[in-house]
Amino acid sequence: MIPAIGLLLGIGAGVLLDVEVPLGLQPYLPIAVVAALDAVFGGLRAVMDGVFNDKVFVVSFVANVLIAAFIVFLGDQLGVGAQLSTAVIVVLGIRIFTNVATIRRHLFRA
Amino acid sequence: MSLITDLFAHPLDEGYQDAAERRRAAGGPESSGGAPRMSAALMGGMLAFGLLLSIAAVQVRNDRVVVSAERQSLVERIERENAHADDLERTLAAVQSDIVVIEADQLDDLAAGRELRDSMEVMQGSTGAAPVQGPGVVVHVDDADASSQGSTSTVLDIDIQQVVNGLWAAGAEAISVNGQRVTALTAVRSANDVILVNFRPLNPPYEVQAIGDSRTLASRFLEGPGGDWLLAVSEGSGIQFDIRTEKSLNMAGASAVLRVAQPEEES
Repeated sequence: MIPAIGLLLGIGAGVLLDVEVPLGLQPYLPIAVVAALDAVFGGLRAVMDGVFNDKVFVVSFVANVLIAAFIVFLGDQLGVGAQLSTAVIVVLGIRIFTNVATIRRHLFRA
Repeated sequence: MSLITDLFAHPLDEGYQDAAERRRAAGGPESSGGAPRMSAALMGGMLAFGLLLSIAAVQVRNDRVVVSAERQSLVERIERENAHADDLERTLAAVQSDIVVIEADQLDDLAAGRELRDSMEVMQGSTGAAPVQGPGVVVHVDDADASSQGSTSTVLDIDIQQVVNGLWAAGAEAISVNGQRVTALTAVRSANDVILVNFRPLNPPYEVQAIGDSRTLASRFLEGPGGDWLLAVSEGSGIQFDIRTEKSLNMAGASAVLRVAQPEEES
């Protein structure tokens, strides 16, 4: 219940505030979203496994977003930004899929 | 491989497992669920997630609007400039025909003027500035059939150059390629596999029209270097060509304006 309210509040705030993202940060936004998705699905799975911990969730969320953006930033500086963002997407994508598969097993037992 | 195996085996953040073990060691429940203090941190985390999602979505939508607006304004500018260029061309044509009428009026008054006008017309015809008409031949050159393979099976700029030069050598007095009048300033060349005449790109098939003595022009062309060249390339790479004689050909004038070169003062 609380997570759902937080999510709705966040979405509402983002739409209403109409935040202008600085041009330099725009390339990292999609990566940050994927990293955040990974943390959220990891948290969901932890809830299903009965080991959820709010502190771990928040720390992993913030760290995921920052590290993913930092890796891509580093790649941009080295001239391999596109390749590194692909790498980040692939790794996080695999984790998201595996976690969602576990969640699905918990929910549907299939 | 071990990296990928690891990725599949432990997709869950290991922090959760560690925290659960610590909690178990302390004698509490494995999950922090139900504890009242979870609300603030969890709420903040999900709020940040929602904020991130919606900001990203809004950003992408805004970008799209900006890009399409820029595109639209560019398209409008191109259309406006095109219309402007068309207007200028129409004005130019009108002014040029006015000049012709005025020149004729002025020169008709005097006998010397009429002579001058006649010689001017001859000169304009031979330089390609004025439209001309008369009997002549049409050399039709086209790429080889698609069935015959080979990279040399398209008409090259040198083929058109040889045809034009061959026609001059055979006694042609005025030549145009696909409606582009060949003047003293005309270059026949290719850029990016497209043949340019007067810097206008042309598409095959190529119609080289030449005004001249229609009884001898065709045979002299075929016997000369132009005909030799065409026969050689049609045998070698399948270029198609044919020559026909026309009783009357019309050619438009081309603007061969000298901007830098000045006529030398007669001494």
